Amino acid sequence: MEAVTQQIPLEHFLALSAILFSLGIYGVLTRRNAVLILMSVELMLNAASINMVAFAAYASPELFTGMIFAIFIITVAAAEVGLALAIILRVYRNRGTANVDEVSDLKW
Amino acid sequence: MGMSDAWLLPLLPAAAFVALTLLGPYLPRRGDWIAVGAIGGVFVLTLLIIADFTDALAVQGEAFAGVANSIQWLEVPGHLELRLGIHVDAVTIVMLAVVSFVGLMVQVYSLGYMKGDSRYGWYYAVISLFIASMLALVLADNFLLLYFAWELVGICSYLLIGHYSHLRSATEAAKKAFITTRLGDVGLLIAIILLWRETGTFNIQEVIAAAEAGQIGTEILTASVVLLLLGAMGKSAQFPFHVWLPDAMEGPTPVSALIHAATMVVAGVYLVTRMLPLIELVAGGPELLLAIGLLTVFLSATMGLVMTDIKRVIAYSTINSLGLMFVALGVGAPAAAMVYLFTHAFFKALLFLGAGSVIHATERQDVSQLGGLWSKMPITGVTFAIGALSMAGLPFLAGFWAKDEILVSLLDNRAAFVLVLVTLPLTAMYMTRVLILTFFGEPRDPESHEHAHEGSPFMTVPLILLAALTLVSGFVVFDQVGKAMGFPGGIGEIIFLERAHSFEFDVAVGIGSTLLVALGIATAWFAWVARPSVPARSLALLRPVHDLWANKYYLDDLYQAVIDRVVLSIARVVAWFDRNAVNDTGVDGPAYATRYAGYLMKFQQTGKLPNYALGMVIGVVTLALVAFSLKA
Amino acid sequence: MTVAQIIFYLIAALAVGGALGVVLARNAVYAALFLILALLAVAGVYILLGSEFLALVQVLIYAGAITVLLLFALMLTRTTDVAESMTGAQWPLAVVVSMLLGGLLIVTVTTSDWPGDADGTITRILFEDLGAALFTQWAVPFEIASLVLFVALVGAIVIAREEEGE
Repeated sequence: MEAVTQQIPLEHFLALSAILFSLGIYGVLTRRNAVLILMSVELMLNAASINMVAFAAYASPELFTGMIFAIFIITVAAAEVGLALAIILRVYRNRGTANVDEVSDLKW
Repeated sequence: MGMSDAWLLPLLPAAAFVALTLLGPYLPRRGDWIAVGAIGGVFVLTLLIIADFTDALAVQGEAFAGVANSIQWLEVPGHLELRLGIHVDAVTIVMLAVVSFVGLMVQVYSLGYMKGDSRYGWYYAVISLFIASMLALVLADNFLLLYFAWELVGICSYLLIGHYSHLRSATEAAKKAFITTRLGDVGLLIAIILLWRETGTFNIQEVIAAAEAGQIGTEILTASVVLLLLGAMGKSAQFPFHVWLPDAMEGPTPVSALIHAATMVVAGVYLVTRMLPLIELVAGGPELLLAIGLLTVFLSATMGLVMTDIKRVIAYSTINSLGLMFVALGVGAPAAAMVYLFTHAFFKALLFLGAGSVIHATERQDVSQLGGLWSKMPITGVTFAIGALSMAGLPFLAGFWAKDEILVSLLDNRAAFVLVLVTLPLTAMYMTRVLILTFFGEPRDPESHEHAHEGSPFMTVPLILLAALTLVSGFVVFDQVGKAMGFPGGIGEIIFLERAHSFEFDVAVGIGSTLLVALGIATAWFAWVARPSVPARSLALLRPVHDLWANKYYLDDLYQAVIDRVVLSIARVVAWFDRNAVNDTGVDGPAYATRYAGYLMKFQQTGKLPNYALGMVIGVVTLALVAFSLKA
Repeated sequence: MTVAQIIFYLIAALAVGGALGVVLARNAVYAALFLILALLAVAGVYILLGSEFLALVQVLIYAGAITVLLLFALMLTRTTDVAESMTGAQWPLAVVVSMLLGGLLIVTVTTSDWPGDADGTITRILFEDLGAALFTQWAVPFEIASLVLFVALVGAIVIAREEEGE
C-alpha cells in the first residue's frame, strides 16, 4: 500500500456513481427488451462498485473490504447475467418475445 | 397429618377424577375402586385432622382461632397479591366430617345402585370431582378459591342431575338447577368483587376483620351482604330460588343424597355461617335471613304434604331443613345451625339412600304405586323409618336434639318461634305419610311389589351405618359426650368459640315440640291407616288449597311466565341485534368490504414488470424524501 | 486543475456518455457497444482509485465476457430494432423519478460530511497485498463466490437447455 495525492475529492466519485445509478434506473424503467434491462442493471451494479472502491481508497483501505466487495459484485453479476439470459431465452422460446411488458400473465 | 396439611384432602378425589376421566374405559370395573379409594383416603385423613383439632383445642382452649396455610399464587408487585390457601377451624371440621363420611357412604352405596349404568365410569369421575370441589369449598381461606369451588360444585350438580341424559326431564331439570343457582352466584361474585375493592384482599378472615374495624362503607357493606345472601340462597334452595331442588331429584338417587341433601345445598348455610359477623354488622341483615328462612320453612312444609313422588317429598323436607338452618342463623345461633347441619346430613342422606333402595327394587318412585314393602325390604324399612322419624323430630333421634337447639335459640323471637312450631306437625305428618304409603298397607302395584327385594350389601351397609349415626349423632350436643370423645365440651361450645354456647335442654320446649310432632304423626296415622277415606274427603273439601300446594304455589308457572314474556322477549331483541348488527354488519361487513376493496385493487396488478419496478423506485424515492424532510 | 483531475473528468464524461447511450440508443447492438464504453470508463475510474487489479478484472470480465454474452442473447432473441418498440409507455414518469432519485443522491453526496483526506489523498492498493488478503483473510468468501458461480452455471444450463420434444 502506498499513499498517492491526486487532488480529486471523494465527492466527485460519489457523484459519478449517483449519475450512473440514476441512468441505470431510467433504463430499467423504460427499456422493454429484457436484455437491455439487464444492461441497465449492469450500469447500476457498476455504480455501486465505484462507491465501494472509492470509499475503500479514501477512507478505509485496511482490510481491502471495498475491493473485495467489488470483486464479489463482479462475480455475482456474471452469475446473474448467465442465469438471467437463460431465463430470457426460455421465455423467448415459449412466448416468441423478449419484451417484458408483453409477458403479463401473472395478474388479476 | 395435621390441620395445616388439609390441602391434601381435595387433591385425592381430584386425582381420582383425572385418572377416571383419562383412563376410565381402560380400567377394570371402570375405575370405581379409584374413586372409592380416594374418598376412603379422605375419610381417614379427616379422622387424623379431627384428632389434631382435638389436641389443638385441648392445648389452646378458647384461644384457638383456626389454622391457616397458604401459598402465593400470583403477584403484581405493589398492586395485588393473590394467595391460595386453607383455613381450618371448627366449622370446617364439621363440614369435613359430613362431606367425607356421607361421601364415602354414597360412593359405596353407588357400587350397588349404579351397577350396570351405561355411564358408570363418568358417574364416579364426576362424583369424585364434586367431592374434591366441596372439600376445597369448605377449606378455602379466600373468596377466590371459595368461588371457584362454588361454581365447580354447581357444574358437578348440573352434570349429575342430567346424568340420565336420554330423559328430557333430566336435562331440563339440570338446566333449571344450573340457571337458578347461577342467578344467586352472580350476586356472590359481585359481592366478592365489592369486598375486594373495599379491603384489597380476598382473604375471608381479613375481610371480616376489616368490616368489623369499620373500614367498609355502610352502603357497600349492605350491598355486598345482600348479594352474598343471594348466592347462599341460590345454593341452599331458599325462597324464591327453591324451585330447582325438587326438580333436581331427576338425578340418580345417591346424587340426591350427597349433593342435594347432605353437602352442596348446605354450602349456602356454610357461607352464611362464615360470613355471619359481616351480616350482623348490617342493619336488617339477620332479619332478612330470618324472614327468608321462615318463608322457606312454611312453604316447603305445606308443599311437602301433597307431593306423591317419594324423592320430591324428601326434597321438600330438605328445603324445610335448610330453611330452619337459615332461621337459626337469622337469630344469631350459628351453633344451632351447624348442629342441625351436622345431624341433618346423616338422616337426610339416609332417607335418600333408603328411597333409592326402594326405587332400585321396584323401579317406581310415586307413593301411589308403592306400599307394603316392609316385609320385603326390612332393612330399608327400618332404616328409612328411623330417618323419617328423625326428620319429623321424634325425641332422642338426631333431628330432635338439633331441632330443639334451634327452638331454644328462637325463644326470644315469639313470632318466629310460633311459625316454626306450626310447621312441626306438618313436617311430621308428611314424613309419616311417605313412610306409611311406601312401606305399609296393601301394595298398590302388585307386579313391582312382587319382585322387590333388598339390595346388595353395598347398599344396605351404608344404610345401617347412617341409621346408627342418626340414632346417636344428636347426642354430641351434650358436654359429657363431647368430653368422652376428646373434645372440651359439647358441639355447641366448640363451633363458635367467641359465641360458645353450652347445651341447655329446655324441658317445656322439648315436651311441647314432642307433643306437636306426635300430633302430626297421629294425624298421619289416622288419615292414611285408620281411616283411609279421610284423604279423599279432605281433598274434596280443601280442593283449592291442595291445588295451590300441589302446584307449588304456582311459583314455577310464574317463573315460566316471566321467562316466556320478559326473558324471551329480551332474548329476541338480543338475537335480532346479534344476527343483524353483530353478525351481518359487524362480522360479514368487514369481510365484504375487504373483498370489494380487493376487487377494486386487483387491477393495480398489471402483470407488467416495468410497472412493478416503477412502483419500487417511487417507494424508495418517497422514503428518501420523507427521511430528508425529517432531517431538515 | 491537475492532470489527474483532467483525466477524471474525461473518464467521467465517457462513462456518463456510455451510460446515456445504453439507455437511449434505438439500436440494441449499439446499446451493447455503448455499455462496453461505459464499462471501460469505469475501469479507468478504478485505476484512478488505485486499484489496477479491479480495472483489469473489469475489462476482462465485464467488458469482455459479460458484454459478449449479452450480444449473444440479443442475437438469439432476434430483438427487433423498431424505434418505438424500444421504449416503454411509462418513460415520462421514469424520467421524473430517476432524475429525482439522482438529484437526491447528489444532494446527499454534496451535503454530507465524508471521511477521508480533503486533498484527495488515496491509498493505492498493490496486487500482492490484495492477492494475499483474498487467499488468506477472505478465503472462505472467495470459495463461496466460486460456488455461486458454479451453481449459476449449472442452473443456466438446466434452464436454457432444449428439452426433447420441445
